[in-house]
Amino acid sequence: MTTSSETLRSRAGATSPQTKPSSAEGPSGPPAREAPQSVEPQNSRAPSGGLFASVDAKQPFKTVVHEASVHTDSVLEINDFNLWYGESRALWDISMSCARGKVTALIGPSGCGKSTLLRSVNRMNDLIDTVKVGGEMQLNGDAIYGSGVDVIDLRKRIGMVFQKPNPFPMSIFENVVYSLRIDGERDRTVLEEVCEASLRGAGLWEEAKDRLNDSALAMSGGQQQRLCIARAIAAEPEVLLLDEPCSALDPIATGRIEELIDELKGSYSVLIVTHNMQQASRTSDDTAFMYLGRLVEFGPTSEIFVQPRLKETEDYVTGRFG
Amino acid sequence: MSNALPPTGTKDPLIAAPSAPRARRSRRGTSLFAHGEPMIWFTGGSLVLALLMIIGLLGWVLAQGMGTFWPERVPQLELLGGERLMGELGDVERYTPEASMLDALSPELRARADLELAALDGQLERVLLRSGNFDISNTHYRWVDRYAIAHASRELDDSEAGRQWELDPARFRMEASASDTDWSLVVERLSWGRLYAKPVAFQVAGQALSDDPAEAWEQFEAHHSEARERWQQRRDLETHDIGDVNHALEEARLAARAAQMDLDAALAASAGAPRLTKLRAANEAAQASLLDTEELGEQRFAELQSQIRELDEQNARQTLLVQTADGTLVDLQLADVVRAYPANQLGLFGRLGVYASRWREFLFDDPREANSEGGVFPAIFGTVVMTLIMSLLVVPLGVLAALYLREYAKQGPIVSAVRIAVNNLAGVPSIVFGVFGLGFFCYIVGVSIDELFYSAKLPSPTFGTGGLLWASFTLALLTLPVVIVATEEALSAVPNSMREGSYACGATKWQTIQRIVLPRAAPGIMTGMVLAIARGAGEVAPLMLVGAVKLAPDLPIDVNNWSGSLGPIWTGAAHLERSFMHLGFHIYDLGFQSQNSEAAKPMVYTTTLLLIGIVVTLNLLAVGVRSRLRRRFAGTHV
Ligand SMILES: Nc1ncnc2c1ncn2[C@@H]1O[C@H](COP(=O)(O)OP(=O)(O)O)[C@@H](O)[C@H]1O
Ligand SMILES: [Mg+2]
Repeated sequence: MTTSSETLRSRAGATSPQTKPSSAEGPSGPPAREAPQSVEPQNSRAPSGGLFASVDAKQPFKTVVHEASVHTDSVLEINDFNLWYGESRALWDISMSCARGKVTALIGPSGCGKSTLLRSVNRMNDLIDTVKVGGEMQLNGDAIYGSGVDVIDLRKRIGMVFQKPNPFPMSIFENVVYSLRIDGERDRTVLEEVCEASLRGAGLWEEAKDRLNDSALAMSGGQQQRLCIARAIAAEPEVLLLDEPCSALDPIATGRIEELIDELKGSYSVLIVTHNMQQASRTSDDTAFMYLGRLVEFGPTSEIFVQPRLKETEDYVTGRFG
Repeated sequence: MSNALPPTGTKDPLIAAPSAPRARRSRRGTSLFAHGEPMIWFTGGSLVLALLMIIGLLGWVLAQGMGTFWPERVPQLELLGGERLMGELGDVERYTPEASMLDALSPELRARADLELAALDGQLERVLLRSGNFDISNTHYRWVDRYAIAHASRELDDSEAGRQWELDPARFRMEASASDTDWSLVVERLSWGRLYAKPVAFQVAGQALSDDPAEAWEQFEAHHSEARERWQQRRDLETHDIGDVNHALEEARLAARAAQMDLDAALAASAGAPRLTKLRAANEAAQASLLDTEELGEQRFAELQSQIRELDEQNARQTLLVQTADGTLVDLQLADVVRAYPANQLGLFGRLGVYASRWREFLFDDPREANSEGGVFPAIFGTVVMTLIMSLLVVPLGVLAALYLREYAKQGPIVSAVRIAVNNLAGVPSIVFGVFGLGFFCYIVGVSIDELFYSAKLPSPTFGTGGLLWASFTLALLTLPVVIVATEEALSAVPNSMREGSYACGATKWQTIQRIVLPRAAPGIMTGMVLAIARGAGEVAPLMLVGAVKLAPDLPIDVNNWSGSLGPIWTGAAHLERSFMHLGFHIYDLGFQSQNSEAAKPMVYTTTLLLIGIVVTLNLLAVGVRSRLRRRFAGTHV
């Protein structure tokens, strides 16, 4: 932690000219009174100096974006996004883009806002009454936030898999074709085709083909999670959001899901939150490192893990901190 | 792992660690209460207490209720005063006699009474004898003082009846009467209750065919069923055929009246001439058709009457002459005898047969004798139909209300207040619901329906009075809190992750509720239904106000009487406006309103047993459905 905040700012400014200078401290969204960092008790202990210190001290701060991760063909575009849970601010001026057909990983210590960011993409945070947002996101050029956006239609274009497997209390078949069912699809052949294709896509077909009519709740945890992936890809989403999909699974099931993510690469654009550095480095093309609601560094995975531009990122990915 | 550790050596007051390891504080021993050993006994004891009370209550009802129909032996008693009695023995009790009563005794009786008084510490024992023969003796039961019995006959092998006499055999002489000569009969009649007597002769048109008791009984048995068939035929003629005639008449009368009322209304409103002519023609047609119907009805009525008279004559010919214990001769028409059996002749299977036949009558027949005899089928029917309609009303309503409260309403003080109010509604005395049902459903809604649709029938009310429909509505209201609370619990037990999963798939709120939340909550909702059924089927007080009656001649669902033209609302065979019988009310009526309360007492237990049985059956059905639902949604990894 030797970099002073001044040097950091200059370095960041030099490396990412595309990034707008962030208005950082003044709440740019709804009026949110800055709670004096009650969420982060560690700020009193943090020594002066270093990037984290400047974050803790609420000093202006700019994301380091590698040139290789500035995509022209991006499926998801996030611009200066902010989010508040009531009075407390959870996301600060997040700007990044996810490449089409690539896997983008979100890493960072627990509570840094990875899930919040992910849930903002398909507006799941709308379900929480106290949430307010600022800034904008675009899915293939269409605004995600903004007046006139039909949230239901938006969610139909985005697939999501949660941390804990959450199969529905119905048969395996019905689970997979759920999104078609709610669209009113009744043609049995269509449903069966989609079911098989999705289960194959999720690597579950061989295990599940003989028990399609059994309750999905009777499957093992790993199978349930793959079923949830099958359910998500059955709707042919433009983006697939995965929120720590392996954290509730044993290592073997985790391995299978990782293979699966590899296979999905190319045909789907994936935004995955993970806690596991190996997983991030193995599966993703781009990696975003977040800390305390800020996007710290965003770049190609190879660069982030091998030669990150920030000492803090290096500390985190090498496990020295976190 | 949310932050870097502070470099060592920082002066931080928050983590000022002590340099030397502190001595470990010794801990106290665990107290008896902390061990919880006594709690096992407390909790277990409470459970045992609760179980004892439940099992005790159920066991008592079961024991009393199952025994009601068992045919007892019929001993004959000869009292010291010379009186002879016959009947079934009941309870034995001790009582302290009044001095005046003892003083009035003859010297011989007095001496016996004194002996018993000395043996029993100044008390006397008496036995309750079901002596029957109400038409002769004006009583169904009488207490018989033990000391007053000079001679008693009984079956020696009958330990049940004999047990009561073993106290001090020295003071009684009990004799076994040879079974093959004791033809004492228990006769259950259509009216006047039971008759205890010995057969004397079987008569046809007053001529004795045989005068040997055994032969008379044989002939009675040979002819009894055909006589009962004639009786059944007669009853069908009276209820169905004459009922149909009356029904047709009533319809024609109502049609005529409606036509007249239309015409009058048109005249009063001075309607146009073409309309008046039309109404006049309609009225004339209706009046003419009424006259026709009346004429036809008259003919048909006379026809039926003559058929009935013929059957009556045939029935009057066959009689059984019997003699009661005090020597009175009674001529019994075979058709008036529901059931008769020689109580002291029956073996185990014979008695089982009587037992089964009585249960069959109880479950499937109409009541007789102010409900204290016969069956309770109309009450069973009324209870079940009312409970089902109530469930059909309360479950959808309660589920919808709970859905709004739990899924749609913004949780806050108002919703909490509503929730508390709903919960407290369950504590409102049920009679209050009855009053509300009477005032709102019967007198406001019902009367409006009558005025709108059944005006031809006024002033006699159709829906404007208590009936099955309003009773079901009232009980639905009464059980609504139970369903709402149970459904809310079930809804809140649906994991949020499932709802989120559904939203993430692009489902709307209603699709999520319909496809994920409700199926998942269905078992819990069924639990609410079980509770509502248990509560509703056992409720009596409100029903007394909104339609349960002591005796309802017609069932509320009546295939012999299609609602057709009685009103503009076609309800098929369902006559939900009718008042109905209900087992709970039947129990109350038997137990507290009956003239013959001794005879009714065993019926109270049996009816209670039946009601419990029905509630349990309905609940088992619901539980069955619930476990099927559970099995559908349950897995090993939930
Ligand atoms: N529903 C919520 N209400 C209020 N605060 C929340 C809520 N969800 C998350 N937070 C807060 O937002 C911050 C980010 O949380 P989250 O996005 O879940 O972190 P991560 O997924 O990176 O571990 C945390 O400080 C957390 O306490
Ligand atoms: Mg998270």
